[in-house]
Amino acid sequence: MSPDIDGERVLRPLHNTTKGHFALLVVFGLAALWLLVAWVYQLRGGMMTVTNLGDWGTAGGVPWGLYIGAFVWWIGIAHGGIAISAAVTVFKIERFRPIARIAEVLTVFALGMAAANIVFSLGRPDRIFNTIVQWPLTVYHSPLAWDIAVITLYLVLSLTYITLSLRDEIYALRPRLPWWLGPIYSVILLGYRPAESEKVEQITWWLAVAILALVPLLSGGVVPWLFGLIAAQPGWFGAAAGPSMLVESLTSAMAFVIIVVAAFRYAYGWEDMIEEAILVDLSKVLALLVLATIWFVIHDVLTGLYLAPAHIDVITETMLTLPFFWLAIGGLLVSFTYLAATVLRPDWFSIPVLVVVSGVVAISILNKKVMFIVEGLMHPSVPPLTNLYPAGEYFPNWVEWSLVLGSIVLVGLGFVIVSKIIPMIELEDAGELVDEPRSSRTDGDSSPDVAADGGVLSGGKLNGSAADTERQPVNSAISDPVDTTGRGVAESDTVGLDSDSATTEEDR
Amino acid sequence: MSTDGDETTARQDESVPGHDEGPEPDGEGVDPGMPDLGYTWTTGDLDDDWETRARQKLETVDFDTELGVELSRDAMALAQGELSRETFNEKHHADVHEEFGVDERPTREVGAVTYESSADAQRASTSESDEPLPGVPTSSGRTFPSRRGLLKSMGAAGAASVTAGLAGCMDGLADTGPERGEAGDVQFGMAIDTDRCIACMLCAEACKRENDTDAGTHWMHVFRYEEDEYGEVEEGYMPRPCQHCSEPSCTYVCPTQARFKRNDDGLVLTDYDTCIGCKYCEVACPYGVNSLSKDEPTDISPGFTGSETDRHGNTVGGTPPEGIMGKCTFCVHRQDDSAQRGTTACEEECPVDAIHFGDMNDPDSKPRQYLRENRQEARFKLLDEIGNEPNIVYLGDEPSKDADPIDGPYTYEDLGMERPAEDGADEVVADGTDDSNAGGEGS
Ligand code: SF4
Ligand code: SF4
Ligand code: SF4
Repeated sequence: MSPDIDGERVLRPLHNTTKGHFALLVVFGLAALWLLVAWVYQLRGGMMTVTNLGDWGTAGGVPWGLYIGAFVWWIGIAHGGIAISAAVTVFKIERFRPIARIAEVLTVFALGMAAANIVFSLGRPDRIFNTIVQWPLTVYHSPLAWDIAVITLYLVLSLTYITLSLRDEIYALRPRLPWWLGPIYSVILLGYRPAESEKVEQITWWLAVAILALVPLLSGGVVPWLFGLIAAQPGWFGAAAGPSMLVESLTSAMAFVIIVVAAFRYAYGWEDMIEEAILVDLSKVLALLVLATIWFVIHDVLTGLYLAPAHIDVITETMLTLPFFWLAIGGLLVSFTYLAATVLRPDWFSIPVLVVVSGVVAISILNKKVMFIVEGLMHPSVPPLTNLYPAGEYFPNWVEWSLVLGSIVLVGLGFVIVSKIIPMIELEDAGELVDEPRSSRTDGDSSPDVAADGGVLSGGKLNGSAADTERQPVNSAISDPVDTTGRGVAESDTVGLDSDSATTEEDR
Repeated sequence: MSTDGDETTARQDESVPGHDEGPEPDGEGVDPGMPDLGYTWTTGDLDDDWETRARQKLETVDFDTELGVELSRDAMALAQGELSRETFNEKHHADVHEEFGVDERPTREVGAVTYESSADAQRASTSESDEPLPGVPTSSGRTFPSRRGLLKSMGAAGAASVTAGLAGCMDGLADTGPERGEAGDVQFGMAIDTDRCIACMLCAEACKRENDTDAGTHWMHVFRYEEDEYGEVEEGYMPRPCQHCSEPSCTYVCPTQARFKRNDDGLVLTDYDTCIGCKYCEVACPYGVNSLSKDEPTDISPGFTGSETDRHGNTVGGTPPEGIMGKCTFCVHRQDDSAQRGTTACEEECPVDAIHFGDMNDPDSKPRQYLRENRQEARFKLLDEIGNEPNIVYLGDEPSKDADPIDGPYTYEDLGMERPAEDGADEVVADGTDDSNAGGEGS
């Protein structure tokens, strides 16, 4: 049932870079630079001096805040991608195959950003290596050591998975790929032999199984244990913490996948290859996940209020007075209402709205994660200390916002770059793209055969005529990667819009 | 039948030194089903009433009532430490075998006798050889695995599932928790008399001067609070250093082994050379005693003059460099200096002698002596139910959950120190600044 993937159009971004793309590169690049500035500022000024984090206890501060919240959030997002992709492989859900690659790449970036947020949160990041040196000893008692182990494992597995799934493709396409990226492809193809395909398929299948098994272990196990094993902070303790965190993770992950997939779909005019039906399905899954998240919130609030021990009561009550809590709940409820409505009235379904709603969901989950971290620390410990110490106060300052928003920008930057290196849609019949006789392989944009071809394929879509001329299957050996003249204005605009809407969402 | 052994032996340890150190608390920790005789009863105290009740109960079952009564009586003797497990099992072996047809309890005849409970083994292996503080209700008598043991086995399980092979190679390391130094039987601690404390804050100031701590950071803090006692408002003061716990949750969570328990004398310290400032110890400590260093000492301190490295060469003394975790060190530089061993700055400075520092395992130490001399006073360990097994014993009444923080009679400003709560949150505290110490809006 999977729609026909037009390899030519999948490969096009590897050769043609539009103005819009460069603009995006510059914008993201500048934002990333800002992140660097903020981080250097934090390193020089000292964590406790330049951020709004503080010590709990006599100082009435909150030692873990936005950074740790964002860490948990990124970990959650990391699941969505690889879980979708692994499910495609394990359960042979072919119709989702066109989004598998995008989802996998998202996982790798998200894991990287999770790690980055941990580093932001360290008083002495220059010493982070100590955690690895000491790992054989700390793994016996430190939940953070378990975390490092599982995240590293997850990263290795997903990188291996992507690499393996890429090798056949890269090998077959090698003549069509930008020559100047040769070294990167050589690394991916290290030791490749065409005969390995069958074996690799088996290996990726097992890898996918392992990854699926790791998802609940990481987000439903090790990460909640990071908090739940600490008796000192009552707000973090709860038997349902694992499952509820897993559900929240999957929710934000699904939302993120939708945003990224929609962005690619628009940017490259892949509407026909990534069918709307895929997004409709994803939106239904998202609706279910949002509902489950809301259900866990109700569970949390109810058990926290109804005859709960006094200190849990205080935490829950304070939470209910915070505007942030209602922002998160409101966001989830509104999103759910829309998503559920589109199930009943399919004609209400619109991809731009879906993207906005997904953004709202992702932000609401981030909001909830940060509240989860901070709430417990504002009223920490158990009585009598809970009331003897001043209640904590916390709102992230510009340094913290810069770094966390910066990590979102970095993911955008990563996608902008990676989409120029590997095909973002899996090409199963990659060989044909090279072997087929290509009459159009001659120079000249306006070759009639190209125009006809392009016109049919783009089917009057967004970048209609621009895309026609854009198609330029030049011989890779002589292709000019920066030939951008007059191409894909529409393309760049949509990318810009999508990412803008994503980032402005974050700003709130 | 009350032959369920292991729980009972644990109490044995506590009751033995208990006889010379003051009254036991009024039976609060005792299972409500047991006769409420306090900790000091002997089986001689079991009266006819008890026997009648036992008989009534036992008559409802098919087995020999006489044997049942004898067994329970001796089981209670066992619980009180009057009888050894060995004698107990031996004494009734024949009768039990005759009555039930089987007796699988270990006796010398059957062989395989180890009368040490797992709790004993645990404690012995971690060098906290016996519960040094009788009279303080404590949770250490529990026989389910200690957190230390549990985490070790969980970690091992985690390692096994993650990297089976590697874990196999490292099995031998499983016993090295976050501890350092050679095994010793000293456990430094304090007895702090909250009834004597006048909240003059001199201990906090002395600590700041001695250890050169940051502005607004208080390794020693004095809680000042009021309690409504049946309409009468009473003020209470409670000094709070690090508790140098026997089961310190801060060490377990540390991802670098930087936070460790020094086995020689039970100090809980931070290795300033390896800490990465992740603040995990801070969020895992229920007492709120940790603070990440800003490296901005106040001018009230002349600078740290003690040795930064301890007797094993670890950098642990004084205020840590920026971005590293700090907390009360029990003045480790003094403990490693023969002229000052056994003293702390806060103890020396206290004008009313409320703080008594010393080895909690030594019956002749200052704190143990003080506890003995004041055996009639109520005593408690802070947040004892959490299971960190703190080594600070307080005399006086524990603040209740409704204790209301107050600001007097002396303030940190009186001594030229920053008010703690203003610090670290100065940019965000808008409304709560003026009564920063009376925070806790939850109350
Ligand atoms: S009081 Fe806190 S910091 Fe001190 S030893 Fe106990 S758990 Fe660790
Ligand atoms: S802050 Fe330092 S001492 Fe505390 S847990 Fe982290 S690395 Fe260990
Ligand atoms: S023992 Fe030393 S470090 Fe600890 S509070 Fe007292 S003076 Fe400060």
